Amino acid sequence: MLTRSQVKSFISRYPAFEDETLALHYAPRMPKAMVKETQEVIAIARKFNDEVARPLSLELDRKTHEDPNYFAPEMVKKCNEWGFYTMWVPKLFGGKGYNMPSLSYFCEELASVCLGFANIIAVHYLGISGLMMCGNTRIVKKVMNDVRKGEETGDPCIIALAITEPTAGTDVEEVDLEDKGRITCHAKKVNGGYIINGSKIFISNGHTSKWTVLYAYTDLKKASETTVAMMVKEGMKGFTLGTHENKMGQRICPASVLNFEDCFVPDELVMLDPEKTRKFTNQKVRDIKMRHIDYIVSITRPAVGAFGTGAARGAFEAALKFASETELDGRPMINHEWVQCRLAEMYANVRLGRLAYVEANTANQHRGVYNLLQMKPMYYYLKHMPQAYFDKVLSPLLDKPIGTWLLSKWYLDWQKPKDQHVCTGLGSVAKFSCTDIGVRNCQMALELMGQAGMRNENRVEKILRDAKLLQIYEGTNQLNRLNVFKSLIAPAFPKAKVFED
Amino acid sequence: MITALNKDLKPFEDMIMSFAKGELKPNVEEHDRYPFGNLDAEVIEGAFQKIYDMGFLGILLPEKFGGIDQGISALCMLLTHIAEVDASYALIVFTNSMSQKIILEAEAETIAEKIFPNANTSREYLIAYPSFCNPSQIVTLPQATSSGKSYKLTGRLDYLVLGNYSNWAVVPAQVAGKPGYSFFLVDLRDKAIKKSAPIFSLGLHACPIIDVTFDGVSAQIIGEEGAGEKYFDQASKIMHVVTAAISAGIMKGSLKEAMDYTKEREQGGRAIVNWSEVRMILANMAVRSKAADMCVAETCQGIEAKIQDWGIYSVSTALIVHEMTCEVVNDGVQLLGGNGYMKDYGQEKRYRDARQVQALLGLAPLKKLALIKEIIA
Repeated sequence: MLTRSQVKSFISRYPAFEDETLALHYAPRMPKAMVKETQEVIAIARKFNDEVARPLSLELDRKTHEDPNYFAPEMVKKCNEWGFYTMWVPKLFGGKGYNMPSLSYFCEELASVCLGFANIIAVHYLGISGLMMCGNTRIVKKVMNDVRKGEETGDPCIIALAITEPTAGTDVEEVDLEDKGRITCHAKKVNGGYIINGSKIFISNGHTSKWTVLYAYTDLKKASETTVAMMVKEGMKGFTLGTHENKMGQRICPASVLNFEDCFVPDELVMLDPEKTRKFTNQKVRDIKMRHIDYIVSITRPAVGAFGTGAARGAFEAALKFASETELDGRPMINHEWVQCRLAEMYANVRLGRLAYVEANTANQHRGVYNLLQMKPMYYYLKHMPQAYFDKVLSPLLDKPIGTWLLSKWYLDWQKPKDQHVCTGLGSVAKFSCTDIGVRNCQMALELMGQAGMRNENRVEKILRDAKLLQIYEGTNQLNRLNVFKSLIAPAFPKAKVFED
Repeated sequence: MITALNKDLKPFEDMIMSFAKGELKPNVEEHDRYPFGNLDAEVIEGAFQKIYDMGFLGILLPEKFGGIDQGISALCMLLTHIAEVDASYALIVFTNSMSQKIILEAEAETIAEKIFPNANTSREYLIAYPSFCNPSQIVTLPQATSSGKSYKLTGRLDYLVLGNYSNWAVVPAQVAGKPGYSFFLVDLRDKAIKKSAPIFSLGLHACPIIDVTFDGVSAQIIGEEGAGEKYFDQASKIMHVVTAAISAGIMKGSLKEAMDYTKEREQGGRAIVNWSEVRMILANMAVRSKAADMCVAETCQGIEAKIQDWGIYSVSTALIVHEMTCEVVNDGVQLLGGNGYMKDYGQEKRYRDARQVQALLGLAPLKKLALIKEIIA
C-alpha cells in the first residue's frame, strides 16, 4: 500500500510515532527481569502498608494536629529499617540497585494509603536525583556511603533538595524566569569554597535530612549563569533549621525553612558551578543548568504523578468500601447504577493516571536518564555482578576526575535535546494529569460518601488534604502545563515563544 | 448574595460585615486549631454568645417566639458575609435555623414557646441538629418507644452538630412499629445520653460535632408521628439555598484573598496577577463567584415571592453553587502556591470548608435524583 519511505515520512511528521507511542515503540527493549523486580517492589510496598502505614497514618496525622511542632522522625527511622533509602541507589554507589521506574509503582502503593509516608521516602530520591544529575561521582560516592552506613547503623541518612526561596518558587525552576526573579540565596566565592547567605523554604524532609542539595547563586541578577550546586550537611557552621510549616496535609513529612548565615561550603562539596561546567562542555552554562533541572524533574515528576495516582486510588478504594457496606433504599449502594458509573469513572482515572506516569518513565528508560542503566546488557550486568565487584573494582574510579567527567558528559552534554524534551514534557504530563486526577477522585469520593467522608477515620478527608500539595510542588500544575507546551508542542511550531507573555 | 436587589437589607448588612470583620476575623486561625470543636476555649463560646446577642439566631423565627422574622434573603446575606470570613460560624447559624424550621413546619408552638422566648444564653437558644444528613437516608435511626404522652429514645445518632454545646437537640428517630420517622426534642443534659469526643472532621472546625448514643432518653415529639420526612422536606426545601449562600461566601473569601496575593507576589520579575494564565484562573473564579451571588439572591427573591417550583430553584442553586465552590477553592489555594497550602493563609481552610458545606442536608447525588424525579413528575 505504501512504500517504506512513505511510511517513514508519514510517521516522522508531527506528532511523530516514536515520540507519541513510547510504550509500544520500546516494549521489546525492556529487560524481562524488570517486571519480576517491579512485582517484588509492589509486594514490599503492600507489606509495609499493612504493617506500618495503614495502622499508623491516621494516628500520626492526629498527633501532628495535637502538636503542630511534631513531625515523625521515628517514621524516617522505620523506613530506614525497611531498607527503603538504598533500594533505588545503583549498586555502583553501594545501593540495592532496583530499577528506577519501579520506584513510581512503589510510590503509588504507599500514596494510596498515606502520602506523608510516600513523601518521606520519595523526597530522599529527589535529593539523590539532584546529587546524581550534577555528575560529580566523588561526592555522590561520599554521600551514598553515608546513606549506606545510616542503614547499617540504624541512624538514617537521608537527603533533601533545597531550591525554593521565600520570594522565588516558579522562578528557580526555569532559567527563562530566573534572571528576572527575586532570588536571594547568595554564594560568594572565597578561597577554598563559597560563603552562603540566604534562606530556603518548603524543603521537604529538611529537618530530618543529614545532607541537603543546595542551590545558590554568585550573581543574584544573573542566577541562571551563576548557579552553584553543592552539598551541605546538618550541623555545618552557619547552617540552621528554621521552623517547619503548619501544612494542610502530608503533615508527618516536615516542610522546613533552612537558613544560611555566612555558611562556608568547601570546594570539595561543590558539585556544579560555572567553572566546573566549562571543564566538560562548551555549551552555555545557562543551558546546562536547564538540562540539569530538566533531568531532575523528568525523574521526580512521574513519581509525583504516581503519588497523584495513589491518591486517586486511595479515594476510590475508600468510596468502594463505603458503597459496598452501605444500604440505600433497601439495597446495597454498590448495586445502584449511578453509583457503579461513578466508581467506574474513579477506577478509570486510576488506570489513566498509571498509564501517564508509566509512559513518562518509559521515556526516561529509553530516551533519558535511565537509558544507560536500562539497556538490556547493562541492566543484567549490573543486576548479577556481585557487590564486591562494584566496591573493589569500579568504586575507586569514582574518586578520579575521569569518573566525574564521564558522568557529567553522559548526563549533561551527550544526551540529545530532543530526547530531553520528550522526557521532561512527559514528566509534566504525568505530573499535572495524575495530580488533578487525585484531587478529582477525592472530590468524587466525598460526594458519594456525604457526612461519612468528612470523618477522619474514613480516610478520604486526609487524602483530599494530602493530595492538594501534589498540584503545587515539583512546579505548580500551571508551570507544568507551560513546560508541556514548551517541550512537546512548541518545537514543532518555530514561532511559538514561552515565558514571553 | 447581592444586597442591591433588596435595599432594605443594607443597614443589616453593614452590621454583619462589621461583626464578621471585628469579631470573627481576628480569631479564624485560633478557632481552627485541634482539638476541633473543643468548647473549653472561651474565645469560641464568646463568639457563639455574640452571635446570639446580635439576634442573628432568630432571623427566620416569628416575632411571637422572640425572633426577628426577616426572611430568607436576610439569612442568606448574613451567612454569606460570615462564611466569607469563617464558615464554621455559618454552620452554627444554619444548624439552629434548620432546627427552628423543623419545629415551625411541624407547628410545634409549645416547643417554640418553651425554648426561644425564655433563653438567655446562646447555649439555651442554639438547638443541635444532625445537619449533614437526610434522615430518610439513614439505615438505622434511634428507636422511639411511646409511653402515653412521652417517648423514650434508644440507639445511636451520628454527627450531631452542636451536640456537646446546646442544651437542646432536634433529632430524628423511628417510632417502634410505625413507618417513616419522626422528629423529637431532646434535652442534651440528660444523663442517659452518651456523648463522643468532638469528631475530627475535614472542615468547619470551630463548630463542634459529636456522635450521641441514647439509652432510654426522654423525648418530646415534634408534630405528628411519622411525619418527619414531610417536615424535613419542607424545611430543607428552603434551607438548600442557605447552604448555597454559605458556599457563595466561601467563594468570595477565596477570590478576594487570591486577588490580594497575586497583586503582591512577583515571579519572573512581575506581579503574578499580570501573568495571563493567572488572570484566566482569577477570571474563572470571579465568573463562578458572581454567578453564585446572583443565583442565591434571585432564588431568595423567588422564594419570598413564592414563585412556582421555588423548591426546585433552591436545591438547584445549592447543587451548582457547591460544585462551583469546590472548583474555586481549589484554584484559590493554587494561586497562592505553597503559601496557599499553609495554615498561615485562609485558603487551605476554605478548601476544606467548601467540601464540608457541600455535604449539608445529605448526599449531593441523591439530591440530584430527587430533583429530577420532581421535575419529571
